[in-house]
Amino acid sequence: MTITLTVNREERIFSGDPRTPLVDVLRDHLRMTGTKAVCREGFCGACMVHVDGAPMASCLLPVGSLDGAAVTTIEGVATMEHLNAVQQAFEDHDVVQCGMCFPGMVMTMSRLFQTNTSPDRDEIKAAMTGNICRCTGYERIIDALMSIRTNEVTS
Amino acid sequence: MQNTADAAVMNFPRRDARDKLLGRTKYTIDVGGSEVIHAVLLRADVASAQVLRLDVEAARSMPGVRAIATWEDAPGAHGIGIADHPIFARDVIRYHGEPIAAIAAETLEQAHAAAQAITLELAPLPAVLTMAQALEKDAPLVHPDWKDYDILFEGAARGGNVAWEATVARGDTDAAFDRTDVTIVDGVYRVGRQSHVPFEPRAVVAAFEDGRHHIQTSTQVPWTVRHVTARVLNIPESQVRVTVPAVGGGFGLKFDCSLEPYAAILAKKSGRVVSLVNSRREEQMTCLCRENAEIRIRSAVTADGEIVGREATVLMDCGAYGGEQVFLTTMTAHTLGGNYRLGSVRLSSRAIYTNTPPNGAFRACNGVYNTFALERHTDEICDAIGMDRMEFRRHNVVGDQDIGATGQVFEGDVLRPMIDRMQALCAKHPNGRENGQRLDDGRIYGRAMTVGTWFIFVGPSAATVNLNVDGSATLVTSGVEIGSGSMMHALPQIVAAGLGIAPEQVIVKTADTDAAGRDLGVGGGRTTVSIGAASAAACDEVRDKLLAVASEMLQTAPEQLVLADGRVEIRGRPGSGTTIQKVVAEAETRTGPISGSGAFTGPGIEAMPGCAAGHFIDAIDIPVFAVHDCELAIDPDTGQVEILAYRVVQDVGRALNHRAIHGQIQGGVVQGMGYALHEEITINDQGCFDQTGFEAYRLPLAQDVVPIEFDLFEGAPSCGPLGTKGAGEVPILNVGATIGCAIANATGKQVSQLPLTPPRVLALLDGRDEPLALNHISAIWSDNTLRR
Repeated sequence: MTITLTVNREERIFSGDPRTPLVDVLRDHLRMTGTKAVCREGFCGACMVHVDGAPMASCLLPVGSLDGAAVTTIEGVATMEHLNAVQQAFEDHDVVQCGMCFPGMVMTMSRLFQTNTSPDRDEIKAAMTGNICRCTGYERIIDALMSIRTNEVTS
Repeated sequence: MQNTADAAVMNFPRRDARDKLLGRTKYTIDVGGSEVIHAVLLRADVASAQVLRLDVEAARSMPGVRAIATWEDAPGAHGIGIADHPIFARDVIRYHGEPIAAIAAETLEQAHAAAQAITLELAPLPAVLTMAQALEKDAPLVHPDWKDYDILFEGAARGGNVAWEATVARGDTDAAFDRTDVTIVDGVYRVGRQSHVPFEPRAVVAAFEDGRHHIQTSTQVPWTVRHVTARVLNIPESQVRVTVPAVGGGFGLKFDCSLEPYAAILAKKSGRVVSLVNSRREEQMTCLCRENAEIRIRSAVTADGEIVGREATVLMDCGAYGGEQVFLTTMTAHTLGGNYRLGSVRLSSRAIYTNTPPNGAFRACNGVYNTFALERHTDEICDAIGMDRMEFRRHNVVGDQDIGATGQVFEGDVLRPMIDRMQALCAKHPNGRENGQRLDDGRIYGRAMTVGTWFIFVGPSAATVNLNVDGSATLVTSGVEIGSGSMMHALPQIVAAGLGIAPEQVIVKTADTDAAGRDLGVGGGRTTVSIGAASAAACDEVRDKLLAVASEMLQTAPEQLVLADGRVEIRGRPGSGTTIQKVVAEAETRTGPISGSGAFTGPGIEAMPGCAAGHFIDAIDIPVFAVHDCELAIDPDTGQVEILAYRVVQDVGRALNHRAIHGQIQGGVVQGMGYALHEEITINDQGCFDQTGFEAYRLPLAQDVVPIEFDLFEGAPSCGPLGTKGAGEVPILNVGATIGCAIANATGKQVSQLPLTPPRVLALLDGRDEPLALNHISAIWSDNTLRR
């Protein structure tokens, strides 16, 4: 079966089992390894991507359901020179540790700031519930996000 | 002008953050592409069995299969203290999940299909799944041939299902317990396993290049991987090269060699680059967990709170093979036997074989549960003699010139002033609440403060510093970046301060055993201390060489020269000197490029002779202390515990990077909250874990946590560079203890077990919690030893 989808504004064609999870299409077929497959059951959030603008766990998405969809991955949200506001806050506050959860964390939080330009601490925590981090204990990540007070986040 | 130590203190940001935030960082799991083939392990699905037949012929001819390995390919056994661990089951299966064969194929699916085609015939054997079963008189032996194994470290008692026994005996505890003026307090405690759940599972990519194995792996211990791989393959260690990409979390899980030898064998047999990655289910089911343990502590205490005698036994489940637990028997002396002055003490710490998945090292290891048991026991002592808990601790904590369990002499008063600092921290937030008080929402309030003792693991490290002609420096060590940031923060800061250059000018090379000298690994809080000390020593040599040349160029004695801002200056005359680049260029015309090497291993603190038996170290080189305070609320309807506030006073020696330490404290305490409250592993009657993934194994989420308030205690003695101690391991040390004591204080009930899941807390509240009985640990201490 052939699936056509847009990944980071570029048209890509996938031929194969339509049940293949999007995360495997990204990582194994397109060799875009920024999206992490950690729990593979939709709990950890490390594989978050945007599908038509909405954050979704790519481990739970059969590629066959995505014909014609626009997917944005961590590779598509910024450039090496210009981070988006969420990434920049994380860098500025030096909150990254092992880094495995951060691609998903960036995808979820970037979307939050598109829909709510000045979330409070509780709103950030609620939005972060689907993104597990084993290293940081979250609060410094939230401190960093609390420093963002603009809607300069772009997808 | 600043001295070197001051110059090293800064909030230097980590340089790997940007690529990690962009998804550009390549971890071992991200190495792939068409040239890489994929391997899987055929694992046992029973806990104990005899192998009647293993036939891989049919699998060999399956599509895409490139190599298959079994026990015939790995003749050697490895282990810590005892070589009890072959990497493949041969005649006997000892745990659910034990590897039987390894298969490499063009695709992962083909490798799985081939694994299914392997013929395996088994005959069931009886399994011992608990330590109580393992210690029964006629229990089946997990290792019937235990007497025949190679001993790698002499001096321990072993026998039957007791893989290793370490004992401490100082003073006359019999006399202490016979005194008529003492109260005897007897407590038992039990904890379950904790799974690390690093987001990058154990993973390896192996190749066979120019007659040698090249192993890229997600590890904390490149030199252990080199050694163990060579040992089990029965090849010289020099034929193994280990390199380490960015590691996606370790927490101690990756402090052992695990998947690497399988991939190495398959790479040589296939001639291909082989990737072997644990699936999440495999990673969970074969996690080298923080072990489950059972503890009995008896103390003889006078009415005024003097502990005149203590006897304790700790049973540590090592699973089917000894592993780290063999070493960790040593650490009971310094944790359960730590914190407090003891008139006399006898400890028995035993690693017990069971037919369960082997355990391993996990951030502060057995210190975490020994501190839980000790602090609960301490509160029970206070209740028994009617003494205030903080007064008792203030009175009894070890201070300057006090002796520890094995007779080592402690330097400096550290814990007592740390308690004062904690009380000052708490005094900033008075709330007038009392233990057991009902809050407005009906929940029950609880609070506790505990103390803890752990150590910084020292041991060999090597470093080379090359001073480059552009004025930058390259630091070459066997350190790896597991996420904690030591390679990103402390090491470049230490080198920069030593050479008077900016930390951005320090290139830090990650481990390559072909390039750097031997190292014990990243763990035990040792990176900043041991690799840092070796790096500082290497900088000293570079400095000496640099200043010798500059001395001639500037016609000034070396002791009158200082290094700062990338320049060599005449002391007290800024701008008088020259740039480092010019001195390096001059050196190249005289003697060649400037480099220095440094080494470290630890000072070797003495214990009292004859106190300790079966211990790998008799005394701790760098003790490290922590004081924690927790306020919590218990929902009496659900048993749910919410942490309201959590405070830490941590002994850091000297804080080089405040933000980095903050990150470790926040992350370490939260990992401890999971351990204390909801990270639970249960082992079913098949000998396997019930929790196979994220759905069942409940990790802390953003809404479970609070900002940890902390105060860094500086100035305690340390042989670490610039007076540092490791700060990443210890934050988890007394979290289980503090939460456990706070729940006991809130409920007025006996808290003897972790984790305190909602059902367990509800049972406590409702009085349905059966008192813990550990009948397999005798009240007569010597009955709990092999030497009796």
